[in-house]
Amino acid sequence: MKSPLRLERRLTQPKKLNWLVPLISIAAALALGAIVLLLTGKNPLSAYHRILETAFTSKSSFSGTLVSATPLAFTGLCAALTFRAGIINIGGEGQFFMGAVGATLAGLALSGQPTAIIILSMVVMGALFGGLYAVIAGVLKAKFNTNEIITTLMLNYLAGIFLNYLIFGSTSYWRDPQSMGFPTGKQLQPRAFWPSLHIVGFTVPLGFLLATILGMLLWFLYARTRFGYEVNVIADAPSAARYAGMRTRWKIISVMAIAGAVAGFGGASDVGDFRHVLDAKGLQLAGYGYTGIVVAALARYNPVSAVTVAILMGGLTNAGYALQGPNFPSGLVGTLQGLILFTAVAGEVLTRYRIRTQKSGALSEVAA
Amino acid sequence: MNSNLFMVIAASAIFYGTPLFFAALGELLTERSGVLNLGVEGMMLIGGVTGAWASQHIGGTSWFVVLMSILIGTSAAALVGLLHAFLAITLRVNQTVAGLAITIFAGGLGLSSYFASVWNVAQRPATHPIRFLDVGGLADTPILGPIFFHQNILTYFSWIAVVVASIYLFRTRVGLQLRAVGESPQTADAMGINVVKYRYIHTVIGGALAGVGGVYYSLAIIPTWVDGMTKGAGWIAIALVIFGFWRPDLTLAGAYLFGALQSLSLTLKARNMHINGDLLDALPFIMTIVVLVLLSGGWAKKRLGAPASLGVPYEREER
Amino acid sequence: MSEKIAVRMSGIVKRFPGVIANDGVNFDAREGEVHALLGENGAGKSTLSNILTGLYRPDNGEIELNGESISFSSPRAALNAGIGMVHQHFRLVSSFTVAENVVLGDESTGTFLNAGDVAQKVEELSQRYNLAVDPRARVWQLSVGEQQRVEILKVLYRGARILILDEPTAVLTPQEADALFITLRAMVKEGRTVIFISHKLDEVMAVSDRVTVLRGGRTVGTIETAHSSRRELARLMVGREVVFDRVERKINSSDKETVLRVNAVSALDDRGNKALNDVSLTIKTGEVLGVAGVSGNGQRELAEVIAGMRHASAGTISVNEKEIPNGKVRHAISAGIAHVPEDRLHTGLASSHSIEDNLILKSYRTQPISRYSVLRRKAIQENASQLVEQYDVKTPSTETPVRLLSGGNVQKVLLAREFSANPKVLIAASPTRGLDVGAIENVRSHIVAAADSGVGVLLISEDLEELLSLSDRIVVLYEGRIVGDLPTSSATRESLGLLMGGVALEEHTS
Repeated sequence: MKSPLRLERRLTQPKKLNWLVPLISIAAALALGAIVLLLTGKNPLSAYHRILETAFTSKSSFSGTLVSATPLAFTGLCAALTFRAGIINIGGEGQFFMGAVGATLAGLALSGQPTAIIILSMVVMGALFGGLYAVIAGVLKAKFNTNEIITTLMLNYLAGIFLNYLIFGSTSYWRDPQSMGFPTGKQLQPRAFWPSLHIVGFTVPLGFLLATILGMLLWFLYARTRFGYEVNVIADAPSAARYAGMRTRWKIISVMAIAGAVAGFGGASDVGDFRHVLDAKGLQLAGYGYTGIVVAALARYNPVSAVTVAILMGGLTNAGYALQGPNFPSGLVGTLQGLILFTAVAGEVLTRYRIRTQKSGALSEVAA
Repeated sequence: MNSNLFMVIAASAIFYGTPLFFAALGELLTERSGVLNLGVEGMMLIGGVTGAWASQHIGGTSWFVVLMSILIGTSAAALVGLLHAFLAITLRVNQTVAGLAITIFAGGLGLSSYFASVWNVAQRPATHPIRFLDVGGLADTPILGPIFFHQNILTYFSWIAVVVASIYLFRTRVGLQLRAVGESPQTADAMGINVVKYRYIHTVIGGALAGVGGVYYSLAIIPTWVDGMTKGAGWIAIALVIFGFWRPDLTLAGAYLFGALQSLSLTLKARNMHINGDLLDALPFIMTIVVLVLLSGGWAKKRLGAPASLGVPYEREER
Repeated sequence: MSEKIAVRMSGIVKRFPGVIANDGVNFDAREGEVHALLGENGAGKSTLSNILTGLYRPDNGEIELNGESISFSSPRAALNAGIGMVHQHFRLVSSFTVAENVVLGDESTGTFLNAGDVAQKVEELSQRYNLAVDPRARVWQLSVGEQQRVEILKVLYRGARILILDEPTAVLTPQEADALFITLRAMVKEGRTVIFISHKLDEVMAVSDRVTVLRGGRTVGTIETAHSSRRELARLMVGREVVFDRVERKINSSDKETVLRVNAVSALDDRGNKALNDVSLTIKTGEVLGVAGVSGNGQRELAEVIAGMRHASAGTISVNEKEIPNGKVRHAISAGIAHVPEDRLHTGLASSHSIEDNLILKSYRTQPISRYSVLRRKAIQENASQLVEQYDVKTPSTETPVRLLSGGNVQKVLLAREFSANPKVLIAASPTRGLDVGAIENVRSHIVAAADSGVGVLLISEDLEELLSLSDRIVVLYEGRIVGDLPTSSATRESLGLLMGGVALEEHTS
C-alpha cells in the first residue's frame, strides 16, 4: 500500500491529549469553516468576530448563550451516556420532544398548584415520557438486537409527527382552542414558569443549573458505582461482561431509560424555562438532539465536560439566532457544528494512533 | 379500491420509490465493500441543493440543463462520499460516528441549508425540473403504460442500474473481489486485492448514487428547494439495504413498497379520504421499525447477506 | 533435494510499535526441501513469513529469490513471484464456494465469471494433488481439515513454487497431520519448496529436511534435521536445557468425593446447532480431568455450560452434589467454579481496562470491593497490588491496561483473579496456548498446585503432550459426545488421536 500517511497504534495515551485534542479539533473546524466561507464569498474573520462578540464577550449576550446552552446540556448528556455505553442512541431529539409533551401536560394540568410542585411534576413527567420513549428502542435492541441507530432515528421522526398531530392535526389537550388561523399550543400559567437565578450578574436558567448538577451526578454514576463499572465493561468487552455474569440486556434498557429521562428532563426545562408552551414547529426546527451528539463527541462522552461544551455550542447557536440575515446565512452555525463533530471524531484518531508520513522509505514523525 | 386508484398508487410507488432505491443501491455497494455509511441523508441533501442550484444557473436546452444538474448534484455528493471514505478508511474513525457527523454537517441544519441560503436556491422553483418522459410511446400501453412508462428518465435509468449492479456483484470477477473485501479483507489482501482501493471507490460511488436520489427530490418530486426536504429518506435507504438482504433486486422491491407508503399518504389526502394525515405520514417510519425488528429476530438471525466485516476498519500491520 | 537456493533472506529487521519482531534474521531454503522454521510464540516466525509474502515490508534486510534480489510491494507481487502462504487462521471467505475462494484475486479469469468453468478447473487441481474437496461447497460447510486443503489448493492454483505453512497441524488430528505430511512430501518431490512453521518439535523432526531455529527475533542457527535431536532443538529454541518429564503429582483420588458432576448435558452453539450431546462426567477433589478433541467439537460449549455462560438444553451440573441453576454465571461463581476461558483477552478479561478493574471482574458486587452499590477505589487498589505481587505480574503499574501486558502476564492476572476466589472447581481452556516456555511452566505449576490443594480441574487442551503430562484421566470429545474416557496411564498419542478423529477404540483394535 503506497500511502503518504501512515497510522501507527499508540501503546499509551498521554494525558495531555484529553484537553489538547478538543482544542485542536475546534481550531481545525474553524479553519475548515473559513474555507467554506471564503469559497462562498463571505469574510470568515468578520463572521467569526461577530460570533464571538454575540455569543461570549458581553454580559447580556453570555446570558443568552446560557439559554441556548441549556437544552444542549441535556441532549449532550443523553448522547454521552449512551455512546459511552456503546449504544448509538440518536434519539435524543425525539426523547426531548416527548419530555416536552409530558412536562407541558403536567404544567397545564397542575396550574393551580404551588410553583415548586408544578416544577417538580414537570420534571418527573418530562423524564418519564422521555425515558419511556427511549425504552422502546432499548427493549428492541436488548430483546431482538435491532439496530438502535435506525430505530431511534425513526422514533425521532415519529415524535415530530406526534407533535404535529397534537398541535395541528387534532384538538388535543395541548392545543389552544382559541387559536384558529394558525394553531398553537396552550400557554402555561405564569406560576408554572421556571425561575432564573442571578449569579454574579449573569442570568442563569434554572434548567442550566439542574443540568450542571445532573452532569456531576451522572459522572459519579459512571465512574464510581457498580452500575457504571458494569456499563463500562459491557461497552468495551461484551464477551467479558457475559463471562462475569453481567445482565447485558437489562443494562441496555436501563441506560436507554436514564438517557431518555435526561433528554426528557431537557424537554421539561425547555417548556418551563423558555417556551412555556408546546411549540411543535419550534422544537423540530431547533435540532437539539443532533447538536447534543456534537456536544457529547467533543466532550469525549464525559458528562461533566458535556455541560461545559454545551456552553460553547450554545454560544454558536445563540450567535446564529441573533445574527441571522443576508450577511450571516442560515445553516452556517449547523455547518460549523458539523465540522466540529468531524474534527472531534477525527481527533480521536490522534489519541489512538501516531500519524507518520512516509517519504521514500524513511519515517518521520509528524504528531507526537 | 377501484383499479384507477390502484394504478395511481402503483405509478407513484415507483415515482417515490426511485430516489429511495438510488440511495439504497449506493449504500448497498458501499456496505458490500465493508464500509458502513450513515451519511446518506446528508449526501442526498448536498446532491439535492447543488442540483437545484445548477438547474437555476445553467443555460441551454432543457435536456442539457437537466443532465448537467444531475451530474453536478451527483459529483457534489460523491465528494462528500470521498470525505467519508477518508475518515472511515484512511483515518479508521468509528464509521458510525463518522457517518453521523456527515449527516449533521451536511444535513438539513448544516451545509445544505447554508448553500441554499447563500445561493438563494430556496426562493424560486427549478427552471428545468425533471419531467416525465414517454419512451417510444410506451406510455400509451394499457395498464402497464400509466404505471411503468409515465415516469422520468431517472426511473428508467434505475431499472438499468438494478440489472447492471446485480450482474456486477454476482457475475463478474471484480464483483467477486468486492464481496471478498467486504466479507474478509484479510483474505482479499492476502490474495493481492487492494482493499483500500475497493473501499474508496465504492464509498464514493455510494455517495454519488445518494446524490442522484437527492437531485430526484429537488428536481423531480418538489421542484423547489426546502431545507431538509428528504425528510429521513436517507435513513430509510439504509434500512432498505437490510430489508433487501444486500441484493439490488430485493432492494428495488423494498424501495417501491416504501414509495407506495409515501404515495398513499399524498394520494389519499388528495382524494379527501377520511384517514388521519399524520398517521399516514408516520407509516413509513413505523414500517421501517417493524420490518427491522422482524429481520433482526428469529429466523433471520444470521443476517442473511450482511458482509461479515461491515463497519470494521481494516488494519494490516496490527499485532 | 538439490543444492539450489530457492529463497534467501538476510539481515531482516522488522519493528512494530514497542517490539522488534525480527532483529536481523538470516534464512535460506533450497529447492525441493521441507524447511522448518522453529521457534516459540513471539520468536518472529510469523512476521518473517509475512515479510516473505509481501504482507509486511521489512525495515531492513534483503530477500533473494532464485539468486535475484527482490522486494515485494504487495501480496500480489509475492504471489506472482511464486510465493504462497497457508495461514494459521485461514484466509478464506466463508460465504463463498471453494471454487470462488480458489480463483479469488486471479486476474486471468476474464471479466465475467462462469461458475461451471471455475469449479471444473478447481476439481482438476484437487484431483491432481489428491486434495479431496467439493469445489461447489461453501467454505462454512467444510471441516477444518477440508478448509486447510482449500488453502493449499489456492496457492497451488496460483502456481506457487514456494509454499509457506504457518502452524498447519494446530487444527488437525495426528492422523490428519500425517496425511498432510504425505502431501507436502509429494509437493517437494515436484521441485517445490515448503517452508513449515511450527513450535512443535515432534512434527519438525518428522517432516523437515532442515530446520532454522528463531529465538527472540534472531536466527539461532540452521541444521540438518537428520543430524539433530529433539533435545538439541528444544535447547536452541528456548535457550536453555528443557526437561521433558511428566509433572509429578501427589495424587490419589480414588477415595475422594466428587466435586463436579456434569449429568447428561446437551447444549446448542451460537448458530443454534447441537454442540453438546448427552455429556456426562465427574471430577473428584484434587483430580485433573483432561478433555481432548479437535477444536470445534464442543469444548468451548462444555466450558461455557459449566461456567453458566451458556444454557444447557438438557441435563444438570452440580458442585459438591448440589445442583446449580442452569445458565446463571453468578450462581456458578458463588458455587465455586473458576473459569480460565480460551479467549483470555476478550472473554476472560476486558483488555482495554486496567489490571485493577480486571481483578475485580468477579468480586465487584461484594464487600469490601463495593458497598451500597458504590465502588471503593482504595479496596480495589489494595486488592490489585496484593495480587500483582503474589502472582509476580510484571507491569509498570496496576493501572496499566491488560492489553499492554505480555501473554504470560495476561494469564497471570487471570489466574490471580480466579484463584483468589478460592474455587472448588477450575475450568481451564487451552491455558498455555500462545505462551512461551517459561510462562507455560508457570501456568502449569499453578494448575498443579491448585489440584494438589483439592481443587477439581477440568483441563481442556488441544495439546496432547500437555494433557498427558498434567491429567489423571482424559476424556475425548468428538462432535459433542464423549467418545472415550481413559486413565492417563493407559492413554497414548495414537489412541487419543484415533478417538479425536471419531474412530471408536473397540472397532479399531478388534
